[in-house]
This record gives sequence, C-alpha cells and structure tokens, in this order.
Amino acid sequence: MRQALAVAKVQLKIFVKDPWFILIMFGMPLVVMPLFRNVLAASLVDSGFGDATGAELVVPGQMVLFGFFVGGSVGFSVYREHGWRTWDRLRSSAVPSRYLLLGFAAPWILIHVVYSAMLLLAGGLLVGLRLNGGSPVAVLIMLFAYSSCVIALILLATATFRTVNQLSGLQNVGAMLFGGLGGALVPFEALPRWAQFVSPLTPAYWAMRGHRSVFLENGGIADVAPSAAVLFAAAAVLAVLATSRFRVDETKEFFA
Amino acid sequence: MLHAQQVKKSFGDVAALRGVDLDVEPGQIISLLGRNGAGKTTLLSIVAGLVAPDEGTVHIDGIDVLAEPNRAAQVLGIAPQETGIYPVLTVRENLHFFCDLAGVARSERRGRSEQIAERLDLGPLLERKGNELSGGEARRLHTACSLVHQPKLLMLDEPTVGADVATRQQLIEAVKEMADDGAAVVYTTHYLPEVEALGADIVIIDDGQILARGTQEQLIAEHHLGGLRFTARGGVPSEVFDGLDIFERGQSGDSGDETEKDQTFVVPGDLTMAGLLARFGDQAHRLVSVERNLPDLETVFLAVTGNDLAGDDVDVEAGN
Repeated sequence: MRQALAVAKVQLKIFVKDPWFILIMFGMPLVVMPLFRNVLAASLVDSGFGDATGAELVVPGQMVLFGFFVGGSVGFSVYREHGWRTWDRLRSSAVPSRYLLLGFAAPWILIHVVYSAMLLLAGGLLVGLRLNGGSPVAVLIMLFAYSSCVIALILLATATFRTVNQLSGLQNVGAMLFGGLGGALVPFEALPRWAQFVSPLTPAYWAMRGHRSVFLENGGIADVAPSAAVLFAAAAVLAVLATSRFRVDETKEFFA
Repeated sequence: MLHAQQVKKSFGDVAALRGVDLDVEPGQIISLLGRNGAGKTTLLSIVAGLVAPDEGTVHIDGIDVLAEPNRAAQVLGIAPQETGIYPVLTVRENLHFFCDLAGVARSERRGRSEQIAERLDLGPLLERKGNELSGGEARRLHTACSLVHQPKLLMLDEPTVGADVATRQQLIEAVKEMADDGAAVVYTTHYLPEVEALGADIVIIDDGQILARGTQEQLIAEHHLGGLRFTARGGVPSEVFDGLDIFERGQSGDSGDETEKDQTFVVPGDLTMAGLLARFGDQAHRLVSVERNLPDLETVFLAVTGNDLAGDDVDVEAGN
C-alpha cells in the first residue's frame, strides 16, 4: 500500500508540473456554458421547470461531458510510463499490480473531483448556478460517484487497448456519445424515445439525474442516493474487470 | 545470493534460454557476456520477475522469485537496457520516488539519494529535470535509480550503451563499490574492456546456453587460441588455408573494389610467421600485417562460441 501511495504521489507531481490539458478542459466549458444556457432554459421551462435559468443543466452537463475527457488522463498516464520506459521499472519494484493500478487511479479520482467542483463553482459565477435548497454534500457525493465511474471505465479501456490512439478514440467518441445519450447536452425529456431507452446505460445519465435532483429539485442526500449507488456500483464492477484484464507484462504503445 | 537453476524460456518457436544455471555470491560481480540475442536480457528479465520462465527455478536471497515476486523485488535492483527515468521530475525527485517504491524509510531517503548522486557524479544536478540532462547524465540517473535502495542483488543490462567514456568509468567504479559493499552484481555487456575493468568473473552465454564460466585468467588459460592474426589485402590465395582452421575476423574497405578490401584472419595453433609467409609465397605482398594472436577475452569468446562479440558468425575456413 505504501508503494501505491508513492506511485500516486509521483502521478500528482507529474500532473502539477504540466496541468495544461486540465486547464484547457476547464476553459472550454466556460466558453460553452453562456452560449447554451438560454436554449436549455427554454427547454427546461417547456419540460415544466418554470423557474429554471438553464444553468441547472448546462453547468452539470458540461462538467459531465468534459469530465469524460479529463478522465482519459488516467489512461494516458499509464501509456506514458511505457513511452518513458519506466513501466518495467515499476513492474520490477515490489508493487503488486492491483496496488499499481490504485496508484494511478487514486490521484486521478481526486483531480477529477476537484476539477468538477471547480467547474460547478465557476458555473455559479459565470451563469448563475445556485444550490438554492439543494444539499452541497449530495453534490459532493455525486462528484465522487461520477469521477470513480469514469476513472474505472478508462482503466478498463486502458487494460483492453494496446495503443494510446485506441484510448484516444474511445475518449473522444465516448465523451460525445455518453454525454449526448446521457442528457448532458440536451434535457433528458428532449431526447428521442430510443435515446431515452438506452440512456440509463451511460454514466452520464446517472450523473445528470443526480445533479438535476439537487440543482432543479432542491434535493438532498437521499435524493441522489440511487444515482450515486448506481455509479459507485458500476465503478466497482469496472474496477474489478480492469484489474482482472490488466496484464502488466503487456507492451503498450505511447506516441511513436 | 542469486541461484537460478535450469531456466528455460521460448518465445514461440524460438528458444531464448535452454536450461541456464547461474549462481552469484554476495560481493561477486558476474559479467554476462554474449552477443545480441544470446539470451542475456531474457535471463535478467526472468530473475527480475518481468518474464515467467517455461521451466526452472530462481531464488534471490533464498526467496523464490516465481512464488514471491514482490518479496524478491525488495532485495533486487535492476537497470533495464533502455533508459527509463521521469523526464519532468528532477534528479532528486526521481531518486526519492525509487526510494519510496523500494520502501526506504522517509528519514533515510534524502541521505541515500544524495549519497548515490555523489557516487555517480550527479550531485550538482540534483535539482535539474530529467529532460534537461545529457544522454550520459540520464544514463547515470537511470542506473542510480536501481542502486538507491542498496539492493542485495544488482542487475545492470548493458548499462553503458550509448554512454561517453567518463560515464562508463563512473558507472564501473560505482558497480565495483557496490560489490565491495557486499552486493551481488550481474552485469551484461558486449564491451570487453568493461569486463576487464570490472575485474568480473565471466559467464559466456550464446544461443540461450551458458558455454563457459570462470575468471578472466581461467578462461584465457583454457580457451586461448594462440597462433597468428593477419590482415591481407585483395584476397588470400586458397593454398594459404590448406590444412588450417582459420577464423575470418572481419573486413574493411567499402570501395567495392576487391583489390582494395582488407580481410583479417586468426590462425590458431603453432603456425609461425615464417610458415605463413611461405604459404603466401609470391603473394606475400598482399599481407598488410601479421602479429601474434595475444591472449585476450575476444579470442576466448571466439574460441568458445565460434562467433564475434559484434554479432556476426565468423567464417571458419575448412581445414582437415
């Protein structure tokens, strides 16, 4: 476990020395939020939320969408070790493979949660997202639940894919597909019926459902519990699959 | 310290190791000598737990590597062939990380890092990032990362590849000091001067098998070819080879003109210079140089494996 902590610390150090990707992923949603707020407000009013400003959907929606891109970083950090030729050094150290994965996952869950929280705060300042009567603890629970699920999903993809380009493909398509189907781009009610049918298969659906219950319906912990439970359960299943699929002796290709 | 027995490994149809035994005692430096593809890296990878053998056992300090790889890793330091450091971290941060990874106490981390940095002349570079180091400096850091936790068994896979002369010397001195401190060292290379500088015991591996082992003196005494080494220009008359085993040791000259091409041969045995000149007869003007084939590791390797260390099979001219 001590070695997992060492791996986690070094991943955090590397992130701190080059945070530009996350900063760009932070800036982009801030540009998008004001552009879509009014459209989403109208859509929410049509759906029966008369007092909605649109911020209740556009801020969590952009957070969920770009959060998938940010989550991809955990996979990139594994491929990067192969590119730097440090992977074999990690393997030949006394770190069991499950702790090695934990050492990569833990800092990225933390970074993901902080990123998401900062985006919600920035959304409050920029487009007027308010908690009203919603529970901040419930929001925090949802942030951890979604971050854990996304990181576990990316780790499973990392365990499966041999090249960083394959992961990059999933990251790009997955963000748009999951975000779109999950109700992060338009309200769930506005999705076609077939999309509403498959929507619960995406992490974005459960994340959006939890955040909507807090920001639109002034919900508390009990209100987000079902969504959070689904995300945490999915995270656990994905993590188990990732750990069992992961072959530490498999050569992975970073950018050649 | 290291006890490997009947280690076998194949990759598909290619047998990389064909039943290798290797023992290394504390304080002993073993130089694993072999051409590219001889099986050196595969053997090291198996000992380090990076690759599973098909058959055989490996124990480090009494720990079964196959049964308890993580426990065995705690007493092992390995520097793989390719330089692997964190380019965005400083030299100090790299060393601290590998201390943490090996379970070195936080209170000892700084001292250990500075000590090994001093030993490898990285002291003034401690605050410099990995991507700001020269090739030789990065190579020294790469090796330092495997030494910093003071392993009982140190394995260095061609640590001086691409390194400058000064770096080579520093690495060799550091390895000798580690051995003096009681570490068992396995050092793979195909640079013979390094083996001599290390004063290492030698294990010659070829085609996945260990063909000879011993001190330099023992191997030279047992396997030295003796005889002559000569270089001829523009071809050698066939009658020179009659009744002799002659090893061709290489060619020079790339003009494509056969009359300008130099070929070097080793003639083992009792042939004298006068005898060689007599065999050349009126073609003696083709001889560029003739000298005694002095006893050295190069000719030992040639005698044991039939190959040059550079990797090319040598031509053995048919004799009786």
